[in-house]
Amino acid sequence: MPSLLDELIEALRCLPGVGPRSAQRMAYYLMQRERAGASRLARALVRALEGLHHCERCNTFTEGGVCERCASGRRDATQLCVVETPADLNMMEQTHAYNGLYYAIMGRISPLEGVGPRELNLERLLARACDGVVSEVILATNFTNEGEATAHYLGELLRLRGLKVSRIARGLPVGGELEHTDIGTIAQALIERRPLEGA
Amino acid sequence: MGAIRSRVEGQESFVLQLHPFRETSLVAEVFSRTHGRLALVARGARRPHSALRGLLMEFRPLALSWFGAGEVKTLARAEWMGGHAPLAGRGLLFGYYLNELLLRLMPREAPHPELFDHYAHALDELARSGAAEGALRRFELRMLRSLGWGLTLDREALTEEAVRPRCEYAFVIERGVVPLAGAGAGAAAVSGEALLAMAREDFSDPRTLSEGKALMRQVLGHYLGERPLNTRRVFMELSEL
Ligand SMILES: [Zn+2]
Repeated sequence: MPSLLDELIEALRCLPGVGPRSAQRMAYYLMQRERAGASRLARALVRALEGLHHCERCNTFTEGGVCERCASGRRDATQLCVVETPADLNMMEQTHAYNGLYYAIMGRISPLEGVGPRELNLERLLARACDGVVSEVILATNFTNEGEATAHYLGELLRLRGLKVSRIARGLPVGGELEHTDIGTIAQALIERRPLEGA
Repeated sequence: MGAIRSRVEGQESFVLQLHPFRETSLVAEVFSRTHGRLALVARGARRPHSALRGLLMEFRPLALSWFGAGEVKTLARAEWMGGHAPLAGRGLLFGYYLNELLLRLMPREAPHPELFDHYAHALDELARSGAAEGALRRFELRMLRSLGWGLTLDREALTEEAVRPRCEYAFVIERGVVPLAGAGAGAAAVSGEALLAMAREDFSDPRTLSEGKALMRQVLGHYLGERPLNTRRVFMELSEL
């Protein structure tokens, strides 16, 4: 039978990027120097596990059935922005350039890892987008190969269901200078160049 | 004598797969033209302002430099090579399929320069043309040949007789093409015409494409063993939505 210490170290390894050595360091730290913090962490984890659920509308975490943002009547319910993670959603919010609603997939299609529509529950997103109110879906998945693949398939599936679909644009960063931009970004910006609107 | 720190400079390579490693790093499974498949640690590649972030991506040719003598080497530098159109849409899924085949079938650290060229060519075909499935089948045939499992499709296995376009055949693993009548129960039929087209790597005829797909699936299944391909399952599920 593993000791309590071994069990704690093993449990900490479920955190992303935490290997056996850092897990051991964390365990000693929590038991030796931060027992109050450890106990708070344990209680918070138990309560979060019991009380947090996916919002029925946007799939991020909430304590009720529907989160505050989705329940607010002040957002434009005809626009739905699809992001990979709640962290991405927060970035979009910080732009103050968007007043529609969101859906967080909680991941992306990862063909090599075997993460596909079933693992991501994409049926749920399709049902959400087809609520009869949404008219435009904005795909804001990452510009990685996996994010692009996800956007491509979602785009096809949503268009088939009669929705207008758009993809956030990519290119040079705001204030960006060619000389200091990575080559891949410049190459893509060249491929996706657009005609200059004449006066 | 000190440790031998062999350093390799600027090798044309593709990233096949990326795994997160520790808090801020990545392990890249790489296919290099001169060194074959190898694993490289990219230190700090997941830090927000890492020069490697956004550069280490699948399906784009990179000039990679690395050092180290162990099984996992350390990436020293990566440079964009360009010259390849990026994969998009369904082509991305097909690209991942090629990567999974290589990850499952190509052993580490055995150079396969001709297979590397076939791979680069297949990516190019996927990026440029709509005839994507033909590109997949061509790559599968060439990959098997490069790995020493080449198929003879234009001659019968025992008699060495030329395959005739109007006859029906079956393919028997590790033997080859046999007349359908002598293949035993359950053998999938393949037309002589499709076999001859496949031998020429010509997949322009839809019939060659569908019969070729079944045949390649049978052959690859033999080498891949029990474990199914993740990319194939994800692709099937996506087309069922
Ligand atoms: Zn919500």
